Amino acid sequence: MIELHEHHEPEAAHHAPPGKPRGLRRLTAAGWLRVSWVAPLAFGLATGLVYGARAAMGLHPYWEFPVLIVAWTVIVPLAFLIAIGGFDYWFYWISGRPTRPEDHSGHGARSWKDYFRINTDHKVIGVQYVVTTFAFFVIAGLLAVFMRAELARPGMQFVDNNQFNGLFSEHATLMIFLFVIPAFAGLGNFVIPLMIGAPDMAFPRLNALSYWLLPVAGLMFLSAYLVPDGGAFAAGWTNYVPLAVEQPDGNLFFQMGVQWAGASSIMTALNFLVTIITMRAPGMTFWRMPLLVWANFATSTLVVVATPFVAGSQFFIMFDRVLHTNFFDFNQGGYAVGYQHIFWFYSHPAVYIMMLPGFGIISEVLAVFARKPIFGYRLMALSLMAILVLGFSVWAHHMFVAGMGPWLRIPMMATTLLIAVPTGIKVFSWLATLWEGRIHFKTPMLWAVGFISMFVIGGLSGIFLGAVPIDQHASDTYYIVAHIHYVLFGGSVFTIFAGVYHWFPKMTGRMYNERLGKLHFWTTFVAFNVTFFPMHWVGLRGMPRRVSDYDPVFGDWNMVMSIASFALGASTLIFLYNMIASWRSGPIAPANPWRALTLEWQVSSPPPIFNFDEIPQVVGSPYEYGVRGARHAVFNGSRAEVHEPEKVGH
Amino acid sequence: MAAVAHTEHAHGDHPPVANQSSRVDARLLGIYLFIGSEIMLFGSFFTAYFFARVVVGAQAGDAWPPEPYHLPVFLALLNTIILVTSSFSMHWALQSIKRNNRQGLIAGLTLTFLLGLTFLLIQAREYTRIGFAPQDLAFSSTFFGLTGLHGAHVFVGLNLLAYALVRSVRGHYGPKAHDHLGVEIPGIYWHFVDVMWIVVYVTVYVL
Repeated sequence: MIELHEHHEPEAAHHAPPGKPRGLRRLTAAGWLRVSWVAPLAFGLATGLVYGARAAMGLHPYWEFPVLIVAWTVIVPLAFLIAIGGFDYWFYWISGRPTRPEDHSGHGARSWKDYFRINTDHKVIGVQYVVTTFAFFVIAGLLAVFMRAELARPGMQFVDNNQFNGLFSEHATLMIFLFVIPAFAGLGNFVIPLMIGAPDMAFPRLNALSYWLLPVAGLMFLSAYLVPDGGAFAAGWTNYVPLAVEQPDGNLFFQMGVQWAGASSIMTALNFLVTIITMRAPGMTFWRMPLLVWANFATSTLVVVATPFVAGSQFFIMFDRVLHTNFFDFNQGGYAVGYQHIFWFYSHPAVYIMMLPGFGIISEVLAVFARKPIFGYRLMALSLMAILVLGFSVWAHHMFVAGMGPWLRIPMMATTLLIAVPTGIKVFSWLATLWEGRIHFKTPMLWAVGFISMFVIGGLSGIFLGAVPIDQHASDTYYIVAHIHYVLFGGSVFTIFAGVYHWFPKMTGRMYNERLGKLHFWTTFVAFNVTFFPMHWVGLRGMPRRVSDYDPVFGDWNMVMSIASFALGASTLIFLYNMIASWRSGPIAPANPWRALTLEWQVSSPPPIFNFDEIPQVVGSPYEYGVRGARHAVFNGSRAEVHEPEKVGH
Repeated sequence: MAAVAHTEHAHGDHPPVANQSSRVDARLLGIYLFIGSEIMLFGSFFTAYFFARVVVGAQAGDAWPPEPYHLPVFLALLNTIILVTSSFSMHWALQSIKRNNRQGLIAGLTLTFLLGLTFLLIQAREYTRIGFAPQDLAFSSTFFGLTGLHGAHVFVGLNLLAYALVRSVRGHYGPKAHDHLGVEIPGIYWHFVDVMWIVVYVTVYVL
């Protein structure tokens, strides 16, 4: 009798991993060898397709570069993903043949090679994400260092105007799409299934695919530099029309790169949402979830709802460029400011996408290192939801001086100021969490406390900018650059560092070097403030942003900021050394070095391949630090209980 | 979902079975959320249409569609009826397999596929005869943008239906809930395509 579901082949129980393919089959097996011949083939195919189609339709010239670029940036990444094995299961499903049952032999990482292939283990994917995103962090940071080198003195020294424009465009694009957003996705990927007591994410194959879209998108953004005529995209990461439509062809790499990065983001968010909703351990109600899970739940909702708008915005630019449509040409009835509305409808929620997971990380770190429950847990969770909802109502505060209808400015100002309320609730709750806690200033805690102060400064400049009259003066000046970097570096990046240090023992099974960690924090903290605080001042005095040269009166401050930025770059080297050296030969980490209560700390470091030998039963809140007899979860089989371990000494 | 009385154990080289903390099947939730994101993608195209028609067009005080263009409203209505019928046949197909009626499933899927294909071919033909090109005005750009985006989604839907049809013929589906997800999920996607067409039709052709 044939089984009428999925129609697997008869399942062989507990068999060994399939043998490595031999001979010619090695070329057709999923992996990099297959990529090495499929990708160039796809490139040739795409080129031939465009040439042939244009020749057949009589469209001259046959070698139309924009059309070729679109074809390359669609077909070659797709071919890469197919060749590396991201779609194997689905091709089996499409073909109508019996699908192969998952034998889990490929699950997990036993050697470094497992990190370079399609791997469905969320822990491996999490590490892949974190390492990849930090590689792009370094690249984007170097671009910033080049910018500061040029800006150190008035006049042009190293680059010309167009190259400089390309620098700040690539810097922001890589930082946003290839660092901050996916770094949170990676940390969440590793931690969340463990935190909710699940063996993996809801859709492991989709998870693997969404990771591999990331290097694709990153290479696409960087490939813009290869375009001979005019070079990289240079209209800012915001890519406003009409400039974006008129830019050289490198702009197409930005437009398509955004699509791939956006697809990756949406897939991950779908995965998070379904996992959090359907795979929590028994007893883990929504009100017993750690705040990191709440934060990623809110963020994933934002991603699913908002990201399609940025995809749409870049589609319209592409259509206007390549197909010569008129979405934005006023002479033909288009509406140029409409681009900004569509773009910012995503990009404002994007800044919350870049911040909410960080809020979740900070809540985890503060509770653990202050040995106190999070103050006002329910309001903390609800404020995340409030920020999620309100975040959709403020986009036009990026457009106060764009020339949109003036009637929109006051409502947007009101909603912008309003969103400070739930954010403020969070800040005060964190402070109340620290109040009378037993504070241990380990590296993650340094970053968390540093985050609170830096983010508040960034939030204050944001409040000023939310007021229309002030924004009209400060818009497109260095005041904005100061604000952005206080909330994105002092905010998001500080929380990413906090999360990486905090979960480093869990992810690698080693302890990082604490002294180097503290050194990294303090050098970064000082260099960061010296770099970015003066920007408030020079901005208000009139130095515009996105300029490669400026009035010499700003020269001294720019020199100071540039030197500090070099120090900031150097401080990252401390971090990189610490991570690499500790991962290779740091002291072995215990299962629960921070004596934390959440579920990921109740398994070994690194966790077992399938996370849990048995799914735990959650019986209480995850933050009952210092409460005698409180239990977060129990493991029935071994009678081991998840509660705060007694600390010897004090 | 109520907490299970006992917890699941691993078997050494298999993961423990995850607890189901929601009544909703994970894969159904996944497709619903994905459709949510696709609705937002259409939303961005509707926004562009709104800018072209209301913000710019209304200010200019011109007629819509701008002279001398016309939209084939009646033919599009016929197409709408075709697509709505295909949703009914899709529903019939799903109901059939829930009652273990394989013939009904195959017939329903085939009918849905053919109706959808007809819709797409009529649309393609109208594109050639409509009298304007995407390059002409913002009106035509947004028209082809919205209908083109929808057509692309119909194409994807036809693919999903084809895969489901092949498997139905091979007898891979059954009456139990987890045995016909391969029909139900394409069905949900197809209903989304249908409803979205109604919205596109009313917005672009009727209003």
